[in-house]
Amino acid sequence: MRTVSRGLPLLVAALAIAYPWLVPNYYLVYAGALTVMYAAMSTSWNLLGGFTGYVSLGHSAFFGLGAYGTGLLVVRLDVPWVVALLVSALLVTVFAVGVGIAAVRVRGASFVIVSIALVSMMNLVVQGWRSLTGGSTGLQIPSPFPGLHRGQTHVVFFYLFLALLGLALLTWWYVSRSRFGAGLRAIREDEDKAESLGVPTAAYKVIAFSLSALFVSLAGGLYAVWFGSLDPIFVFSILIGSYMVLMSLLGGVRNLYGPLLGALIVAPAGEYFLIALGETQIHLTATGLVLVLVVLFMPDGILARFTRKRGGPSIPDESADQRLQGVAP
Amino acid sequence: MSSLRTEGLTKAFGGVLAVDGATVELREGRINGLIGPNGSGKTTFFNLITGMIRPDSGQVLYRDREITRHSPHRIAHAGIGRTFQLCRIFPRLTVMENMLVAVRRTRLRELLAGLHDKGEVERARHWLRRMGIEHLEEAEARDLSYGQQKLLELAAVLMAEPELVLLDEPAGGVNPALIDRIVGLVRDLNAEGRTFLVVEHNMDMVMGMCDHVIVFDRGAPIAEGPPSSVREDPRVLEAYLGV
Repeated sequence: MRTVSRGLPLLVAALAIAYPWLVPNYYLVYAGALTVMYAAMSTSWNLLGGFTGYVSLGHSAFFGLGAYGTGLLVVRLDVPWVVALLVSALLVTVFAVGVGIAAVRVRGASFVIVSIALVSMMNLVVQGWRSLTGGSTGLQIPSPFPGLHRGQTHVVFFYLFLALLGLALLTWWYVSRSRFGAGLRAIREDEDKAESLGVPTAAYKVIAFSLSALFVSLAGGLYAVWFGSLDPIFVFSILIGSYMVLMSLLGGVRNLYGPLLGALIVAPAGEYFLIALGETQIHLTATGLVLVLVVLFMPDGILARFTRKRGGPSIPDESADQRLQGVAP
Repeated sequence: MSSLRTEGLTKAFGGVLAVDGATVELREGRINGLIGPNGSGKTTFFNLITGMIRPDSGQVLYRDREITRHSPHRIAHAGIGRTFQLCRIFPRLTVMENMLVAVRRTRLRELLAGLHDKGEVERARHWLRRMGIEHLEEAEARDLSYGQQKLLELAAVLMAEPELVLLDEPAGGVNPALIDRIVGLVRDLNAEGRTFLVVEHNMDMVMGMCDHVIVFDRGAPIAEGPPSSVREDPRVLEAYLGV
């Protein structure tokens, strides 16, 4: 079993690396890059949502800010795109620290509302600041690889998003094995109790929030130079944030590979609906329906069904009492 | 030497004065009992000491250093640990993970260190062994019985190495054999130098275990002293029995 659990990720990684060379056309490479982008973003979202239980529907704010930050640095200041990507992500992370300090003071539904308010505000700011951002007409960014045709660009960005996904997975894995990660999980279970055991919960939440924002903003920056055209309505859409939540919940927020599995199901399904039915709103309805079904019937996600160590009834009282009788002073 | 001192501690919830100018002193090395009728402010007093709620006025001093309005984690780092009236553990974490949550210091290097640091795991096993639940370390905490969860809660508190331990109804909902075990543990831990403040409705337990008993009524202490004298105090009889 252990060999399977170790071997499977390696096999999936090998398949992912070979993917652009296995598929028959560039459209499938594009769809693959989009799927990997969502996998990277939902894994990043899960650094906050999965560990702490704080559900942010507004993470598209960091996606949009990363995208616009990178785009503006390239277009307005002629900064090389890699530098623009990193500087933009750094600035968004600093911004996220400030937002996080204010946002994680509230819990539950209030936090969800604050996160939605954040993305709405960012959308309005970018649309309103026409002289800088281009407003609702959007921002055009020159291709970073003018020598490559569109299909080849998809291949390059497939690998860039794959690298980002690898980094996000590695970070999640590292955090999950640290004392910091234990503190975050304790916050998810019982925040007051964690605080009473010495866990500085406010600081932990802000760090998780900012770390999560960092990776999502990197995805946004890559998206900006990949697509070359930014529309504030799309990049600051709550839908993108909802996808991150849905993918994570569907796969399982408590598992390293949960969001990845969710992305592998939801993103291709979305593309399929778009191709099969055209530009209708049916894929949105389907997304909403899947979200409801997951929350109702599979709140722990698909992978939780395979990873629960011990199921069934509680460990009988007798064993404890018998032991206690045996060791009573 | 004084372990903990409160001076004029006051907290109101709307029109209800839950703690009313409570001045209390706990001496180091004692097992102190805190008793009183339901609604007399005992748990609110606990919450004020541990920073779970902020007082309207008054002071909390631990070892002569003011800790009023400090956050709960800072108070935990100062050396005060607590359990809750309704047993609180982290249900979806394993028993061992529950133990390893406790943070004594917040140095970056320690936070980023691996969860299963050998020294910490051994320390956790030591406490689990003393509680008699070391065989359950891999189990998820939600799979434990209520009594086992009570022991786990106490073990996790002790992982933070507190010098003052506040126990909120440790005998609540547990069987007599386990109560005897908890009493034994508290005595042993006290003999090792820890001070205790125990809120409890089980009078046999309080009178048999505590060196010093404080009686609360309407948010403030009305009597205190050794169990034998408190038991006969007319103010206590009036508060409990209305006679």
